Amino acid sequence: MTSHSPPPTPPTPPTPPVPDADQKRASFEREALVHLDTMYRVALRLIGNAADAEDLVQEAVLRAYRSWEQYTPGTNARGWLLTILRNLFINEYRRRTRHPETVDVDTIEPYAVFPEIQDEDPQATFFDRIVDDEVLRAMDELPQVFREVVMLSDVEGLSYEEIAKVLDVPVGTVKSRLFRGRRLLQTRLYEYAVSMGYIKARTP
Amino acid sequence: MKCRECVEHLYEYLDRELTPELEQEIRAHLVKCPPCGEQHDFEELFLKFLHARCSTAGAPLALRRRILMELFDE
Repeated sequence: MTSHSPPPTPPTPPTPPVPDADQKRASFEREALVHLDTMYRVALRLIGNAADAEDLVQEAVLRAYRSWEQYTPGTNARGWLLTILRNLFINEYRRRTRHPETVDVDTIEPYAVFPEIQDEDPQATFFDRIVDDEVLRAMDELPQVFREVVMLSDVEGLSYEEIAKVLDVPVGTVKSRLFRGRRLLQTRLYEYAVSMGYIKARTP
Repeated sequence: MKCRECVEHLYEYLDRELTPELEQEIRAHLVKCPPCGEQHDFEELFLKFLHARCSTAGAPLALRRRILMELFDE
């Protein structure tokens, strides 16, 4: 009889490391895909129609995933994604947008609406009568430089510093565009409300 | 602080983007100047209004699915 040496006990296999792909996927889902709503809203306002906005977001997300290694985990993923989205828009989508004509900023002198309404409607209840679509239309008619700062600040809640990074402009520029953009929008909405009879124009 | 200066900085005040010193000065002015206080309330209302009206729609479900499919083939 041949003596059999007992088979060597196989060494306990080490816990298999989580494959890189799974790790990448998990961190991308956790840090990037949570901003899909923001990306879509910003894309929609930049580009003006849902089909192109979806394409833009999809392409931006794919690009972001391909260069995910360049993103430092735990930093500002939202700002990073919006920068990719906006650059893609400027470089490849802007020329084929079907965006509504924007108003010529130089022909409109924005003013503070409050003095106009303080006697007639100091609580500004006329806002309640303006439907969402009309607000979005007014937003879409703003020139892009104003529309994008108002979107990023007032809708998505980015700080001046974050907006400055996304747009690659100084913080002072963000501040002045935001001031003018908000006033322009306010003026448009007020004039719309007057035209609809939601509020009486102030008698001079 | 003059009203003009207060109104100029009102948005930065509402955005919490001022230095603590200037923020304090504006806050003090708003308390003792009713017209500036009312303008502040109006601008605050306007910003809340914009946020509420423009942030309702999110990414469509179909887009979300398409992206997951492209990324992870599922």
